Amino acid sequence: MVENAKRNPVADLLESIVTVIIVLVIIQTFLEDFAVVQGWSQQRQRILLFTGFFFDLFFTVEFLVRLYNSMTRRAAAKYLFRERGWIDFLASVPLLMLSSGPPVLAYLFAETAILGFGGILNMLKLIKAIRIARILRLLRIVKIFRSIKYADSPMAQRHMARIITISTTIIVFCFAGYSILGEAVPTVGVDSSAHAVEQHLTAKIEESDAETVRDDLGILGEYASIIRRGGETMHARYDTSYYRENFQVGDYALKRRGETEVIFDRRIIMEALAKSRAWQNLFFFGVVVLMIMVYLVFYSPHFALTVSDPIHVMYRGLSERDYNLEVKIPEPYAEDDVFRLADAYNEVFLPLKDRTQEVEAPEQSELKLDDIKDILD
Amino acid sequence: MSSKLRAENRLDEKPMDIKEQKATQFVHRLLANPALQDQSPVQKEQQIRQFLKANGNQLYPTLSSNSFFPGYTWPQIQELLVRALGGVVDQTLSTQLKAALDKIDFGFISFLREQGLPVAKAPEALMEFQKNLLAKPEARQAIAGPLVAVQTQLPSRYIDQAFRRREYIYFELVKVQRLRMSKEEIKNLILASLLLKNSIHLLTVGHSGPQTVTGVVQKQFAEKVLQSLKGQLKVLPEALLRSGVHSNISFLENPNMETTSRLAAIFAFRCQNYRPVTRVDRGAVSPDKSWFNISRRNFKFYGFDIKLLDELYKIAGENGW
Repeated sequence: MVENAKRNPVADLLESIVTVIIVLVIIQTFLEDFAVVQGWSQQRQRILLFTGFFFDLFFTVEFLVRLYNSMTRRAAAKYLFRERGWIDFLASVPLLMLSSGPPVLAYLFAETAILGFGGILNMLKLIKAIRIARILRLLRIVKIFRSIKYADSPMAQRHMARIITISTTIIVFCFAGYSILGEAVPTVGVDSSAHAVEQHLTAKIEESDAETVRDDLGILGEYASIIRRGGETMHARYDTSYYRENFQVGDYALKRRGETEVIFDRRIIMEALAKSRAWQNLFFFGVVVLMIMVYLVFYSPHFALTVSDPIHVMYRGLSERDYNLEVKIPEPYAEDDVFRLADAYNEVFLPLKDRTQEVEAPEQSELKLDDIKDILD
Repeated sequence: MSSKLRAENRLDEKPMDIKEQKATQFVHRLLANPALQDQSPVQKEQQIRQFLKANGNQLYPTLSSNSFFPGYTWPQIQELLVRALGGVVDQTLSTQLKAALDKIDFGFISFLREQGLPVAKAPEALMEFQKNLLAKPEARQAIAGPLVAVQTQLPSRYIDQAFRRREYIYFELVKVQRLRMSKEEIKNLILASLLLKNSIHLLTVGHSGPQTVTGVVQKQFAEKVLQSLKGQLKVLPEALLRSGVHSNISFLENPNMETTSRLAAIFAFRCQNYRPVTRVDRGAVSPDKSWFNISRRNFKFYGFDIKLLDELYKIAGENGW
């Protein structure tokens, strides 16, 4: 095997750190959806949200550093297109901007959003964007194949990385396309039904007098969590600290009609929606992981058996004087180009090499001056 | 036997002067270099000789310093080192030869229909003979393969399998060569033949002898060597001497040559560059199987018996050797 050129130990250390973080982020990606399906506490889910934000930030910085580094070498295009910089981009910047960034910001400014009745963010639109962007996280699985040297042969590693990249990207883009199409085509889904009901209820509240609103809301008081009219809070189901502790982005919806503003408690609806999406994400995550496992377990050994291993054996036989092992030719693949070449190597080259070695004694010693530096110093 | 030989060796030892000691130390360190670790003593000797020859200009400034050999010219230093190297390798070869002889049971001599030969004296006689013969570089070179073959017991593994299969090799040994002895005795006969293979250099002078690059000689030359050998190794039976000497002739030109000679020729060549610890690459055929297949293609070149090679190839394949 050809030895790699001298490597920078700091660069090696950074690559190792990136590899560890990629593994962690894959676990985090799985756990984030798993937590929703399993109904983990809001606190735990919030920890996962912030962890995801940290990873997105890390990969965005990593991408920017790599891009800057390639630009200083005037090799930005090479990095982006040939060294899979586009994967680095898709698995970092959009996720920070659309997936983990907005919920974290919204959480940090949640108090303003709810209590100030500003209605700055249209949460539903935001969540739709998040749903599509999250899929890009699966691309990080591809990144790991650049960092881990899982095969002896650089050719085998490159081929495996390429085929996994292509397959994963197709799955991710199909999923993203499906999601975008789902948003584009109007359907009577949970979101739109809730929206219609909330508009109707807001209209009813607007029409009601203040006394009815304060005293006779009944079950509507649980759904319409905060009601304000003309800047005055007419109804608040919980106190401020409870909202801060228990409400996340998407757990509420703000509706206005005239002077009336109503914040609806959407947690039950959102929980059902989130579980449905989490299942979908876990399914695609499982598909990608299964596909990669199948490639690694079945295709990678096949590639080694039929391409890289015979080439490696022939390379050693051609370049090393004392290496005389034949290439193993599997019966079913005997007609492959590689094995026809291997057959010529076994039947013609090696016997000829053997005869030549008998005729010509080695002119050069295997002992080199560098080998005895310690004796001469 | 061994203690007597050791005593003789001690008598041979002469006190070394400081230069010789330095040369010997230097040579010991070269021999221990990891770059040569898989090689036999003779191969190491050759490699170091070539190394000294090729790197004189670079080595001379250091080796002519006060720490080594001040005031010496490069040819003098080279001669000193080569002599020290020869001495060290001689000792190693001697030790290895003793170890190899200890592994052979010469009891088979009793079955060679040459009664009255002192079996107990056979190893000692062979040792003495080799000590003189190994002074010749070509004989030293030729002993490398046989020594490895005996040390690794490679022939024994194949003979065990051949007797289990009872095909060509078994038929040739038992029916054609008519060896009326047990499998173990046949193995020992082959091992002893291997240690007599380099006796072909008894009558050669330098590298200008009649042998070809493959070490194969004409039968007439082999017969001359055999006659001379009979005079020197009277305690060994003629059948054994013939088996050893004939391992240097071509089977293609001498189809009636002994099966033990044919096997000894193959095993000696097999072990010439034998690497017992070689890691087999994934996708490569095992070392023995590769070697026998290559030799099947080159059987005319080396004068091997193709049918023997075919069976040895099958045995290697069946056993993953």
